[in-house]
Amino acid sequence: MRIGVLARLHDVTALVIPGVAHAGFVIDAIDRGGWRSELRSAIASGLPTLGICAGFHVLFASSDEAPQALGLEIFTGTVRRLTSAKVPHMGWNRVHALAPTFESGWAYFAHSFAPPPNLWDTAAVTEAPPPFTAVSAKRNVWGVQFHPERSGCYGARFLKRFLQTARETVYAR
Amino acid sequence: MLAKRIVACLDVKDGRVVKGIRFGHLRDAGDPAECARRYCDAGIDEIVVLDVSATLEGRAASHETVATIAREIDVPLTAGGGVRTEDDAIALLEAGADKVAVNSAAVHDPSILSRLAARYGAQCVVLSVDVRRTNAGYDVATRSGTHATGCDALEWVRQATDLGAGEILLTSIDRDGTRAGYDLEAVKRFGRALRVPLIASGGARDAASFGDALLAGADAALGASVFHDGDVRVAEVKRDCIARGLEVRL
Repeated sequence: MRIGVLARLHDVTALVIPGVAHAGFVIDAIDRGGWRSELRSAIASGLPTLGICAGFHVLFASSDEAPQALGLEIFTGTVRRLTSAKVPHMGWNRVHALAPTFESGWAYFAHSFAPPPNLWDTAAVTEAPPPFTAVSAKRNVWGVQFHPERSGCYGARFLKRFLQTARETVYAR
Repeated sequence: MLAKRIVACLDVKDGRVVKGIRFGHLRDAGDPAECARRYCDAGIDEIVVLDVSATLEGRAASHETVATIAREIDVPLTAGGGVRTEDDAIALLEAGADKVAVNSAAVHDPSILSRLAARYGAQCVVLSVDVRRTNAGYDVATRSGTHATGCDALEWVRQATDLGAGEILLTSIDRDGTRAGYDLEAVKRFGRALRVPLIASGGARDAASFGDALLAGADAALGASVFHDGDVRVAEVKRDCIARGLEVRL
């Protein structure tokens, strides 16, 4: 987690909340740094945002990983503990895109929790099994359960698409 | 469906990849970043870098080496060797590792597993276990295989996963670098007992031996010298897996 190195949000054109963390630890870091209201209002006013893994989970209201912690409440629902035979769900699995903005392919996962698919913002799913949300998209906010930075060419194309979209977005600060 | 993983391991000493037999007789096998890049291009699913002399020299794994490798690759990286404290683990993650492997330190103080899991999540915490076969089962060895603990390995991995280890890297010292094939009995026994992913290590012989370990119950099979010496190519291993009905990433 590199949340401590953020510049103030009025300087940025896009926000990435990285993973490799316990969701409770990330939320705690956000609150200790006094970031909650600033993050919420920047995201609400259109700042292109990408949450990865635990950084994706904190965009929901809550997660089974840290039931007492209140998330940023951008996406609908609760992040659940996986019910697969082996947890963590670790390794390469197929992402099935449900929206034309996204692409299907192999991506790298390392997680014990994931948001269940929903009708509102799930843009891609993966079968653990059972299926979970691999990508969520809601206006200017994307969230991914896999690690695009460690998912070969597929992940690189995903990140390029995010940056492209961010560049095209006129974010009125 | 989650694919089975083919993993390449870089044992590093003094900034160079080395490989030996049964944890001894180390010889040079190249530059870590170059090796990592090459395996990545060849389609490897994950890279493990272990600083094999760190614990014995009483220091943490070299983060410079980890950082150079992490920059070179776009597949996951697990780093370990000499991780004694939470700070050692944090340094490896800050250097760009996605997971940290803990071995001797966890045997000495198992609470390091729960402390790391509380901060980074269990998916980040790999317990590396080096085992020797005994009449009764498998015993845990620490300090690069130099210290026999007398602990039962199966009992230890059960306890470790309860504490927060999210993956087990099981290395058979008897098979390490011998090209005798994986210890399939160990893989079966641990694979059945575990509710977390298992990486089989030690003994990779040819392309087919990887599939043997995966069919025996491993979620990932790790090779070192077979890849370094160019005896086995990653694509060959994956073709063999597919022919045997295993799902792998292409």
